Amino acid sequence: MSSLSIRVADPLRTAVLALIWLLLALFVVYPLVMLGLRAATENGTFDLAPAIAALRHANTVRAFLNSLMLATLVGLLGTALGFLFAFTVVRAQIGRTMERLLDTATLLPLISPPFTTSIAFVFSFGPRGFITYNVLGMTNAQVYGLRSTLIAEALTYFPLAYLALRPMLVAIGGNLEEMAFSLGSSRWRAFRTVTLKLTMPGLANSFLLLFAASLADFATPLILAGNDLPVLPTEAYLQITGMFDLKGGSVLSLLLLVPALCVFLLQRWMVARRSYVTLGGKGARALTGDTVTPGLRWVLVIGCMLVVLLIFYLYGLLAYASAVRAFGANGTLTLDNYRVVFTEGLPAIRDTLIIAGIGMPLGGLYGVLVGSLVGRVRGGQALELVSMINYALPGTVVGIGYLIAFNTPPFLLTGTATIIIACYVFRYSPAGIRTTIALLAQIDRSIEEASTSLGAGTATTFRRVLLPLVLPAFFAGLSIVFIRSMTAISATIFLVSIHWTLITVRILENMTELSLGPAAAFSMFVIVVVMLVTKGLDLLLRVLSGSSARLMTVEHE
Amino acid sequence: MVDVRLQHISAEFNHPVRGTIVAVRDVDLDVHSGELLTLLGPSGCGKTTVLRIIAGFQVPSTGTVFIDNQDVTNVPANKRDIGFVFQNYALFPHLTVQENVAYGLRVRRQSAAEIARNVEKVLHLVDLAGFGPRLPNELSGGQQQRVALARAIVIQPRVLLLDEPLSNLDAKLRVQMRGEIRALQRVLGITTVYVTHDQEEAMAISDRIAVMDQGRIVQCDTAEELYRRPISSFVAGFLGRTNLLDAVFVERDGDRLVLDIEGQRLSIKASTALEPGNAVKAMVRPEAIGIGPAGGGLTATVVTVTYLGDKVEYVVRVASQSLHIVRFNPPESERFAPGSAVTINLPSDGVQLLPRD
Repeated sequence: MSSLSIRVADPLRTAVLALIWLLLALFVVYPLVMLGLRAATENGTFDLAPAIAALRHANTVRAFLNSLMLATLVGLLGTALGFLFAFTVVRAQIGRTMERLLDTATLLPLISPPFTTSIAFVFSFGPRGFITYNVLGMTNAQVYGLRSTLIAEALTYFPLAYLALRPMLVAIGGNLEEMAFSLGSSRWRAFRTVTLKLTMPGLANSFLLLFAASLADFATPLILAGNDLPVLPTEAYLQITGMFDLKGGSVLSLLLLVPALCVFLLQRWMVARRSYVTLGGKGARALTGDTVTPGLRWVLVIGCMLVVLLIFYLYGLLAYASAVRAFGANGTLTLDNYRVVFTEGLPAIRDTLIIAGIGMPLGGLYGVLVGSLVGRVRGGQALELVSMINYALPGTVVGIGYLIAFNTPPFLLTGTATIIIACYVFRYSPAGIRTTIALLAQIDRSIEEASTSLGAGTATTFRRVLLPLVLPAFFAGLSIVFIRSMTAISATIFLVSIHWTLITVRILENMTELSLGPAAAFSMFVIVVVMLVTKGLDLLLRVLSGSSARLMTVEHE
Repeated sequence: MVDVRLQHISAEFNHPVRGTIVAVRDVDLDVHSGELLTLLGPSGCGKTTVLRIIAGFQVPSTGTVFIDNQDVTNVPANKRDIGFVFQNYALFPHLTVQENVAYGLRVRRQSAAEIARNVEKVLHLVDLAGFGPRLPNELSGGQQQRVALARAIVIQPRVLLLDEPLSNLDAKLRVQMRGEIRALQRVLGITTVYVTHDQEEAMAISDRIAVMDQGRIVQCDTAEELYRRPISSFVAGFLGRTNLLDAVFVERDGDRLVLDIEGQRLSIKASTALEPGNAVKAMVRPEAIGIGPAGGGLTATVVTVTYLGDKVEYVVRVASQSLHIVRFNPPESERFAPGSAVTINLPSDGVQLLPRD
């Protein structure tokens, strides 16, 4: 009955809701509209001709096709790796130590700047790379191109697939497969007709997840794609920063929007459909029998270990590169690179920490507020959808939209920290929103009503009852906004200025200036700070909630 | 004195699939000061909706709610001064027993000393002294129930509202708790509205019972009146077991009425506005019926006999209709085998005539 009930009007709730819609209109809808207008008008009149001309440009078509191809390949390879990891952890009975090792290896790419793998790739396979130059003795190795970009992106994003597939495989459980096995299927047939079939929606979903991630990835192709593989995000960036062609950039970014939107809608449709998979219930969890043969178990473990070793090798190489005078030429250990970070790099560090520090609580609170409103007000679904837009959009689209929208009065924000903070809050809080919605779905409505019946108003109920209960969601919001503020670049590269800059932008500048040592040192700094802060938040959450609530550091479906 | 008054209350919902649903239809209800009134009915009859409207969790589509002669229809729940006990208790899982109970007092800005004193007093009252520092998940179902009750009464509400408070407890505890709730309500003298679908619970606990069906209150009276003189077969069937015999009203015979039950005559004491020839239902409780060897009275055939120790239950057939009979502690000689012909005696003042519907 409660889902149908008529709610008593409440002025505070109404005011907060109005404020949130206002903010969403300003920071989500308005930039998108301005972006579309810029692409479709010329000197104030509607004119599609320049946009169509830009679309017809041979390079644009190539970039579009390249983006789609790269995203498809990354989606396939990443999902395969994710499934390999998930299946191994759930079914191969690898033991706790091994499981922790896999979890650590998959966590690393998630908390690093998105191009860490790319930088390490250059160290490993570049002209002076450890493997290409030192091991193989090649003098003219070609690291730039499709292969490196594909592998680097797959390594960066496959943990998302792993995190999405693992609970699904747990939910399916081995009992069903054993049932099929006992009915006379071969192991392979049982796997194919039961487990794989039931995981299909999850696989499709994680493919879309990775497709979208790759489509939006800006930094990896900028570093690794080279001249022969133009993709849309990099082209849009070069169009704007290289040729000062804001219109061309807008058109390119809108072109990026088409597949991104398709993926987003497909995903929502699939999520709505896939409920049958979890029907198995709790009983399926206790998996005791061997569902893989010993031979297969070894294959799985070795496959995973190769990937894990590759990841650790790349991060190790990064750490090494940050601590030597000149990677590939002079291996003397030195702290010079870190000295650069803490002298020349200090403004970027300070700016980034200030922005992350302000964005973090705002994002956490915003996520919890929106999340708790979604299920409780008229138009909650629309609220959820709109609040997800900036998260679902490629960063390039959001960044260019903000650049256009906030460059002129009445909302002149260019060059301020506000624009960067707003970008992060509205782009990365949806994780907090979703977690809040999920947590509240488990809390009966009567808890709130109990508070109301005891005389508490909306504000008191929120502060004393809802907030403590959604504390894990609040912390998830905090940690994810912080991590992204430290590591993201695709949107904010358009928003930095001489007044406010970011570590990630400095890393990219270092890479293009071939100051590889400082780039590596900066990356290490970011990874360490993110680890420390998430660890600190995790501890704080445990103390505050007095229980074993775990901090969520990754947004996933 | 009336504490809660509902006038012409209706509640409609918009369901995405089924369209408009009318949960409550034109309900009028007076709850007297200090009484315990129960809303009784099958699930989906609207009883919980009525309770939630009194609480202020829902706004009625039409009608007016008065508490203490004050129109509170548009007053939000937190300003109505009510105590509510939820079916699932709705204890705040992150607060201790003490903090749960103190919640309403804190909202009312009582001093720390006052709060401590009141919390201790009420925990003592519900027999939970010493449980203050525990968290809700460290308590049994019955203890959680007591905390929910303590939390609701500690604020000394004008009205106490209980929504199926015992339905999550096992049968034995249910009987014990309903006794405790009743005793507490008497001691504190709180005007109380109680919702349940369990007729025995309703009869055990209530001063008056309002029986609800399909959004309407069909009869509101004491348990005994409802049991003895139900106004419809629904009420008769909902409170206790009952037999409903199809009969035809034949004629008046002084202060008695003569009925025809498939060719057999039955004379009862009752008054009615019926015309001869009208079809009626004759309601009689199973334990009111006597049974004896064939000869005189209504002729019947025994279908089944069930021996239950303190009682014997019979199903007998009168022409084409079945009748349940319960005999408490019958003499050993009174035992009829299935298939045997018997006479059944319906007490002339224990038969109630209901319209056939």
